[in-house]
Amino acid sequence: MTASATGRAPRRLGPHPGRLRAPFVAFASCTGLAFLVGALPWLSGDDPAQTVLRARAAERGADPEALQSIREELDLPADPVSGTLSWLGGAVRGDLGVSWVSGAPIAPDIASALGVSASLASFAAAVALATGILVLLPVLLRAVRTGRAGGRGADVTGALLASVPDFLLASVFLAVVAVRWDMAPTSGWEGPAHAVLPALALGLPAGGLLSRVLAGALAAALAESWVRTWRAIGFAPATMAVALLQRTLAVALPQVMLVFAGLLGASVMVETVFAVPGLGHTALVATLAQDLPKVQGAVAALVLVGLLAGGAGIAAHRALMGPALAASGLTPAVAITPAARRLPLVIGGALLLAIAVGLARDPEAITLAARLEAPSAAHPLGTDSLGRDLLARFGHGALLSAGAGVAVSLTALVVGAVLGVLGKRAQAGAADVLNALPPVLVGVLVAAAVGPSPAGAVAAVALVAWIPIAVHARTLAAEVRASGYHQAAIAGGAGRAWLLRRHLLPSVLPAVSRHALMRIPHNTLALAGLSFLGLGAPHDSPEWGAMLAESIRYVERAPWTVAVPALGLALLGVVASLVRTERR
Amino acid sequence: MQLVRSFPAEVLGAAAALGLLTTGCFSGGDGGDDGRLDMALAFPPVKQMSPYSDDAALLGRVGAAEPLITLDDDGAPRPLLAEDWEQADDDTWELTLRDDVTFQNGTEMTAEHVADALGCATEASPLPRALAGTELTAEADGRHALTIDTGNPDPVLPQRLSSPELAILAPEAYEEDPGTPDPKGTGTGPFELSEVDGGTATLEAYDGYWSGEPQATGIDVRFVEDSASRVGALRAGEADIVDAVPVAELENITEQNLVEVQLPRTVGMFLNNDEGVFTDPELRAAAAAAVDSDPIVEGIYEGRADPVEGIYGPVSDWSEDRPDVDPEAEPGDPDGAGITLATYSDRAELPEAASAVAEDLREAGFEVDIAVQEFATMETDLMEGEFDAVIGTRSYLLETNDPIAYLASDWGCDGSYNLARFCDAEVDERIAEAAGETDVEQRLRAAVEIEADILATHSFVPLAAERARIGVAEDVEGVAEDPLERTIVTAGTRTS
Repeated sequence: MTASATGRAPRRLGPHPGRLRAPFVAFASCTGLAFLVGALPWLSGDDPAQTVLRARAAERGADPEALQSIREELDLPADPVSGTLSWLGGAVRGDLGVSWVSGAPIAPDIASALGVSASLASFAAAVALATGILVLLPVLLRAVRTGRAGGRGADVTGALLASVPDFLLASVFLAVVAVRWDMAPTSGWEGPAHAVLPALALGLPAGGLLSRVLAGALAAALAESWVRTWRAIGFAPATMAVALLQRTLAVALPQVMLVFAGLLGASVMVETVFAVPGLGHTALVATLAQDLPKVQGAVAALVLVGLLAGGAGIAAHRALMGPALAASGLTPAVAITPAARRLPLVIGGALLLAIAVGLARDPEAITLAARLEAPSAAHPLGTDSLGRDLLARFGHGALLSAGAGVAVSLTALVVGAVLGVLGKRAQAGAADVLNALPPVLVGVLVAAAVGPSPAGAVAAVALVAWIPIAVHARTLAAEVRASGYHQAAIAGGAGRAWLLRRHLLPSVLPAVSRHALMRIPHNTLALAGLSFLGLGAPHDSPEWGAMLAESIRYVERAPWTVAVPALGLALLGVVASLVRTERR
Repeated sequence: MQLVRSFPAEVLGAAAALGLLTTGCFSGGDGGDDGRLDMALAFPPVKQMSPYSDDAALLGRVGAAEPLITLDDDGAPRPLLAEDWEQADDDTWELTLRDDVTFQNGTEMTAEHVADALGCATEASPLPRALAGTELTAEADGRHALTIDTGNPDPVLPQRLSSPELAILAPEAYEEDPGTPDPKGTGTGPFELSEVDGGTATLEAYDGYWSGEPQATGIDVRFVEDSASRVGALRAGEADIVDAVPVAELENITEQNLVEVQLPRTVGMFLNNDEGVFTDPELRAAAAAAVDSDPIVEGIYEGRADPVEGIYGPVSDWSEDRPDVDPEAEPGDPDGAGITLATYSDRAELPEAASAVAEDLREAGFEVDIAVQEFATMETDLMEGEFDAVIGTRSYLLETNDPIAYLASDWGCDGSYNLARFCDAEVDERIAEAAGETDVEQRLRAAVEIEADILATHSFVPLAAERARIGVAEDVEGVAEDPLERTIVTAGTRTS
């Protein structure tokens, strides 16, 4: 068979073409990343002997004798390549080497941390899925009764949940549920009870994001012709509801697996709050100490699990869609969601008013005598830990916060939609690898490449922010390609551009755009999460994510310091979620 | 049409099952309170509990291992495993060991064991800080008599021997890897380390402890890095003792006790002498004059730190009688000079202090940028003088309880922790001179005189003297108050 013949053959969704590709992607990405990690000291310009010494003895001066003896003890590689080669040599034989800092074998450490992270991430993914479904349930039930989606209640609830930072939830749960109500252990990892609060803290915001994907899928499903047929035949509402839910879940499952894989290495802050000995924290500590063998081991573990999870997500989508995805039985249609008229105006107006008032006040005046003051006439929203006026900081931070979040979301939307729609074959691949990388590693690499700057932070966050969008677009595109009208257009001789313009983009873009909009607060928070590396908004910036991160330790004493920026992000999220993305 | 293959409940179930499958990874807790102490500590082990790392402090704080000598509140050497010591001649010290000490594995401690243990320390990589710059050899001189040859005259050997890094372990600790001794069951302290992993450590009381049977039956340690979480464990009754309680959490502790100890640790601003704006002594003087430290002590530290006049804080009595500082220059006019002020976020109060200091400097006419990162990611830049000013916190009695060693590393031209990039030939000479001084009183006198020389250059702007804060449950008594933070739990600590 010639190459051109293969090219023209109808694309099959069967498993055979990619069978060899997956192990290759896994091997290639593990090897490539191992070299990248191995080059870390040369990229960052920090001597690993010094960072290892620092990890072992925090306040010790790095005198030349001490550094020399560490170099000799660890036999530190003289170039970025040789160390990694010998590590890879061991790794293929199953020997991950010993940690530079502790001198202990790496494999048992990574295995136990991976086990902890895997159980936490699966609990969190289950919470996310359950939350997403619960948020959508009222819409689903109404749809079954009336045949129309209607209402924006689920959008608002979902947007609110999605804009709550997981570390804020963690801190509030710790202070209220664990300490005040004594209903759960404060920290540690000794039994299933210890998993409840961290799983909720991670799963609820993820569930909010997921509800957006589910809502889009439900609206699309409702517009499909089979729903009318079933209704006309008079199927029982419960049967309809279950069928619609499964149709909806098919789109969401790849996202759930993405959440799972992403949380393995990225739930650092929640792991820290609850002292969960997971892989995210392990990777953070090892990266900061430049304990290269350990970082390489952690990254390899994360990438392998990430690829497996990505593959499982695709398989789940296929399984739930059944033969419909291969044949031409589907008729995905663009759902027209009724636009909310008054709500965005009211919320947006209130937000703008607060911002305008805040802009007229001084956000920088420090008054240590008036720190952590509760809201009063002088300070309508209270003061922060340096006695600065929170209303002023709220106003001055608005543009920064929204701007950075929107910039990342737009980049993510463009990249994600293009890659998702154009991607030929649904396969676990580069996206899953990037998704699984610990954010601190991405941050350190980006900081090393472009230096600490706000632009660097946007780049680091955008590097992974496009992935959920791409996976969403890919899932939807696969359904469009399986549709009757798409097949008909191909049969009619439609060109690639025509298909893209008339069928793929109109069906895919509105849903993924709404998804990207909903992620604006999430992206703003991810930016703030890199500030400890010197990336992101500068110190003292009134950017909302930075304000939140700085005030989180006062959450119990002065809740307003945290509530103000959190509320700002939530309202931003709600307004963004109500923006209309469909053409009428 | 058949769209449906499985039920949503099954999908949820599958996710939950995956979670449960991996719950073999829970470490399992202990129940019941039978005279055991629960501790939540901030710093997890870094090097398999080897005393040749920061884990040494951990071993001391939980009463697992002990050095030969201890220091009292005034920093004077007191007997511990060694009963008596004297400097026989310039290069030789003679020590008499207690004859009733046994290791937790039952072996009697002899001079032979101690000599071997010290020998391993001198060969560790890197050399324990307490031994930096020394060449000592220890030799048994009878069953409980020890001779230490210091090579050069070493007046502060007893202080060095008090370092937790020089804890004495049983011979079997050094068998497998002398570079990473294993303290499990090999210490001499009241509590025997039986198990340790990244997140927890377990210790059992050692009945044969030479100073009497410990009151508590054991210790369960959890390592909790997040301070709110640590304090939460105390408030929820899960922990009896938590260390490193930050100022921000104090208001939340209402029903438990707080042990507060002044530390030989000073927060201050180091001005870069080597590069940039602050090479000008007049501008250093202007910066020093501009900064008002009282609001920082009272506001950011909420009055739970102490005002400080120089490098040494109020805990060090010997620094009270300071010589007058003769300023090198009068404050000049900054005239909009641009500076970068750096600090690290590992200690939450420092970035807040940086904001306050920057405000003061701006009012005085400087243009100020602030750089804040995790210490680990900015260490190279800090040490290489990338910033004009650095706000940092330093203990001046680390390891050897001797300020001269601190002065050499932080203010010597070749110092390894010289944040101010300070280099003054005269000060260097005085530090070298003081290091050779054998009389401890004279050394401390030299230390305050050198401090005056440094302060005269306005290279250091003192901000606050820190305190250690340990949270203690109401029914726990006998927690050690140690300004060097070397002990927390002792044989006398008990829970009722």
